Amino acid sequence: MITLRASIAAKLVLGYGLLGTASIVLVSAVFYHGTVGVLDRDIDGRIVAQSDRLLAHATGQADGALLAEVRRQLDDGIDSDREIFQLLAADGKPVAGNLGSWPAEAARLDDGATLLSAVVKRDGHATPARLYLRPLAGGGVLIVGRDLSEQEAVRGVIWRALLAGAGVSLLLTVGGALLFRRVVERRLGAIRRTAAHIEAGDLSSRIPVSGRDEFALLGRDINRMLDRIELLMEGIRHVSNAIAHDLRTPLGRVRSKLDDALRHEATVPRLSCAAHDAIEDIDDLIRLFERLLQIAEAESGMRSRLFERLDLGLIATDIGEMYEASAEDGGVTLTLDAPEHLYVDGDRNLLASAVASLLDNAIKYAGPGHAIHVRAGLFHGGLASIAVHDNGPGIPETERAKVTRRFYRLYDSRHLPGNGLGLAIVSATALAHGGELLLEDGAPGLVARILLPLARSS
Amino acid sequence: MRCLVIEDEAETSNYICKGLREAGYLVSACDNGPDGLDLAVGNDWDIIILDRMLPGRIDGLSIVDKLRALGKQTPVIIVSALTSIDARVSGLRGGADDYLSKPFAFSELLARIEALQRRSAPGADSSQLQVADLKLDLRTLRVTRGAKVITLQPREYRLLEYLMRNVNQVVTRTMLLESVWDYHFDPQTNVIDVQISRLRAKVDKDFPVMLIHTLRGVGYRMGAIPPDGAEPAAAGGPA
Repeated sequence: MITLRASIAAKLVLGYGLLGTASIVLVSAVFYHGTVGVLDRDIDGRIVAQSDRLLAHATGQADGALLAEVRRQLDDGIDSDREIFQLLAADGKPVAGNLGSWPAEAARLDDGATLLSAVVKRDGHATPARLYLRPLAGGGVLIVGRDLSEQEAVRGVIWRALLAGAGVSLLLTVGGALLFRRVVERRLGAIRRTAAHIEAGDLSSRIPVSGRDEFALLGRDINRMLDRIELLMEGIRHVSNAIAHDLRTPLGRVRSKLDDALRHEATVPRLSCAAHDAIEDIDDLIRLFERLLQIAEAESGMRSRLFERLDLGLIATDIGEMYEASAEDGGVTLTLDAPEHLYVDGDRNLLASAVASLLDNAIKYAGPGHAIHVRAGLFHGGLASIAVHDNGPGIPETERAKVTRRFYRLYDSRHLPGNGLGLAIVSATALAHGGELLLEDGAPGLVARILLPLARSS
Repeated sequence: MRCLVIEDEAETSNYICKGLREAGYLVSACDNGPDGLDLAVGNDWDIIILDRMLPGRIDGLSIVDKLRALGKQTPVIIVSALTSIDARVSGLRGGADDYLSKPFAFSELLARIEALQRRSAPGADSSQLQVADLKLDLRTLRVTRGAKVITLQPREYRLLEYLMRNVNQVVTRTMLLESVWDYHFDPQTNVIDVQISRLRAKVDKDFPVMLIHTLRGVGYRMGAIPPDGAEPAAAGGPA
């Protein structure tokens, strides 16, 4: 388990938590401004307007007309539990009104009318209020205001609702993020466990993949990479085994032949004959190593910078013609159908060698009396294909994937000459060209098909 | 014929020098890059055989480079353990005339040296090739042996032409594949041998003197006199 500080999931949690809180604060501020703020401004407007109306009715002095109007307002029974009117005389004494106390500012209104909030006594109760204090022309002050106790109650309700909402959202954010962290750690845990298995030597271990999310895609990519690595490792293991076993046999044969010749052959011609045999055997071994190197070279993909534009149809024709006589000698009919102008980018000699290998195999394994058809053309419209189709015994379906492995030979064909590298090289060559070797049921026989990407028209 | 061998591996160097002396060449040998470069540039050689990887900070390719930069067209064969197609192509593009991978049969090297010699010394520009009573008319593409007209496929014609141009010289299977078919790869089976035996059936059958000879483990040679070690024609080639 990694520490919380290092956990990317924990960092995401923290980040999203902060982001969530910030957005809640922002939304609350907008909401508060839109509700309580509007109410506050509304009240200010109303008390100023009321004050203006009162003064319009009177002369602007704390005299009879204004006094009567104030009294009328107080006694009209409309809105009487919230309205505040108070008329003060020039000496600060109350003339009329419903306030028991008023703010001290009323005594010194030097810079004109003032809007303020204060706690006042109204009808004997202390209450928060919004007041508009206005000096009168002949001395005295007119106070128009509004009892805010109800307003304060609403404000309190909104605050509580906002705080509760913020708390719940914060909890949800943190909870969700923690859940997210667990999910991330579980998904990553599967990948890390697989990595540990592979490190321990179990190359067949794979990441369990379900769904189509990012982790599933990553898992699939890693699994695909592991498939490839396993295949390559298997190939290397196989080659080591083959070198240990298959190559010892011919080496042993050469050695015993020479040994035998030295001990039993007395004449120079016979000794030289044995030496010739040994050289031929060794040449075969050298060729074998060259072909192994050729596979390694093709697999390393280093070759593509030497690729040139070439006509696959022409190569098929050349190699097909080259093998016509050999086929005839082997009692096999070889027919050729290779239109020109089938352009691919590749290495001419490698591709020719691959086609030659397929023809070699077809002649060798189909056997006398059978027919081989070489066909070059487009495959499903978008690929160039060279197919060598023989109507011989073919390859059982279960074996088809294995015959492209190095040194793999079908049980029935072990008595025939060959080193089990031909198809492995063809397959590696096709892969190096961005294509593939397909082995299909020829019904009867085998279709060995090299598929290559068509050259992009330039 | 003066021949320079630049090769640091003593055993390979001896193998090449010994073989060349037996074949009648005057051979000088050298085992490192700087001396090799001095010798190659300072004298006139008929052929230079050099290893690609040499001690002394000057490798085979840079020797070829210098030689060509000085305008010397001496034929050069690179002999190298670097066998990849990349290495071969870079060697040939670098100005070498041929590239042979190690290990190799001496006969293959000799055949290639002789082929290069013939190329650098063009023969008389004749319109007809002739070996014993076999005649090939390059203008009418007519092939006759004695009084008999021989009909050949286009590829057989080119094969015969190549053999006749290299009369009394050894040609290897790889050389044939390169010159007649213009491909460079190692055919796994006896596909070239089969082509030759087809040609032989048309050219040599029913005639008392064999003209196309098989040299076991090496290749072929065209000529009226059978070379040492030639097999009877019926054997066709190594099994």
